[in-house]
Amino acid sequence: MIELVDVCKGYTQKGVRKNLIEDLNFTFPDDRNVAIMGHNGAGKSTLMRMLAGTEPPDSGRIYRSTRVSWPLGFSGGFNGTMTGIENVRFLARIYGADTEEVLDFVRDFAEIGPSIRLPVRTYSSGMKARLAFGVSMAIDFDTYLIDEITAVGDENFRIKSKKVFTEKLKRSNIVMISHSVNEIRNYCNCGLFLTRQGIRFYEDVEALIEDYRRTLREGF
Amino acid sequence: MAISTRQLLALQVRVIGALVLRETRATFGSSQIGYLWAIITPAASVAVLVTIFSLVGRSPPFGNSFALFFATGVLTLEYFNKLSNGLIGAMDANKALLTYPVIKVTDTLFARTILITATYILIMLLFFGGLVLFGLAQAPAFPDKVIEAVLVTGFLGFGFGTVNAVILSQWESWRHIEKILTRPLMFISGVFYVPSLLPPEAQAVLWWNPILHLVEWFRMGYYPNYDSRIFDAWYPLGIAIGLTLLGLGGERLTRKKRT
Repeated sequence: MIELVDVCKGYTQKGVRKNLIEDLNFTFPDDRNVAIMGHNGAGKSTLMRMLAGTEPPDSGRIYRSTRVSWPLGFSGGFNGTMTGIENVRFLARIYGADTEEVLDFVRDFAEIGPSIRLPVRTYSSGMKARLAFGVSMAIDFDTYLIDEITAVGDENFRIKSKKVFTEKLKRSNIVMISHSVNEIRNYCNCGLFLTRQGIRFYEDVEALIEDYRRTLREGF
Repeated sequence: MAISTRQLLALQVRVIGALVLRETRATFGSSQIGYLWAIITPAASVAVLVTIFSLVGRSPPFGNSFALFFATGVLTLEYFNKLSNGLIGAMDANKALLTYPVIKVTDTLFARTILITATYILIMLLFFGGLVLFGLAQAPAFPDKVIEAVLVTGFLGFGFGTVNAVILSQWESWRHIEKILTRPLMFISGVFYVPSLLPPEAQAVLWWNPILHLVEWFRMGYYPNYDSRIFDAWYPLGIAIGLTLLGLGGERLTRKKRT
């Protein structure tokens, strides 16, 4: 469970203050998959970083009682000079998973072959994404934070990813940012909509999608 | 919260352990030779200086081994410098790591401190061990005091490095200013001379340098009869505690501004 109490967040840049999130009180339910939608710059990724704990709120508190993943979907945390194996082992270690088990899974899943023994800076972005996704699937989290998971790799890999991910969802839940209505419909059963007027919660994902589409048509 | 203190402690140990391994790899490269070089380089530079001074024919300011006298001073100072230089950039260098919520900024500081400390303990063991082996020195007279001196040096280096890292995160130019400020340490820390033999006026000024006290501490532990009129254990210890509190407090206060 992730609970947000009176959370405020904004940025000041060149003297211009921009408040993204104001007095948000919300509890992410344990048994539901939550979508986060909103226009660009509404604060979706900021909210996600706060949920993960990589960024503190300006004021208010965030309580986490479950194992929350890092925001998936980008591989910015990899060290380029370290090999794929070393990066995977490092992540397994900090999350207290068995390093060799995780490595075996990732080797098998990411299918990047002997490249896993090379420094990550030599990887293509696709290879990096495969590796990152593989690690996040090998470590057990209660809540997966997913920031725009765009389809990685070829058709084959996509099918495999979806299978593993669906398997994961039996025991874990997700908080997902996406602009893709299909993805949201596939994975989520409730959602938050970030608008200029504030943040609204939708019990029903279809209502969220409808409102999202309407604001897209009418402008924010 | 559902997490017990024990679990938190285990998490802390796990994260720092993983970071130490990662830092080792990042600092010394993938080969074992890399780590060997990290140990050989400082030891060799001390050896070169010692050789030069011996060739010039200077007699040791204390005891009968110039190498021992010089090493007790310069290795203490180098250990402190390494910590201070290593920690100042730790926050910047590890920004990408903060993608992973289990890692906190302070963990990267602790990990570097552990790695540098382990490296310098090894360097000291090898260097002093070598001196003893070649008959250039005796084993330390009071090993417990030597260990105390090393621990407090590490503590002071951690405090100073953490304060520097916090200042650097707020003010880019600090990196250069810190270099200028710590440069004279080589001359005011008693590396080449016995501070107690200096004129009282000089002693009164040098007293304010905490590194000088640490060098004295180390020598009082190593030599059976090194007597210091300057040494005060509480001074470097007090500064170390003060800087550590300031550094960690500063990290907490500036956390929101940094991200």
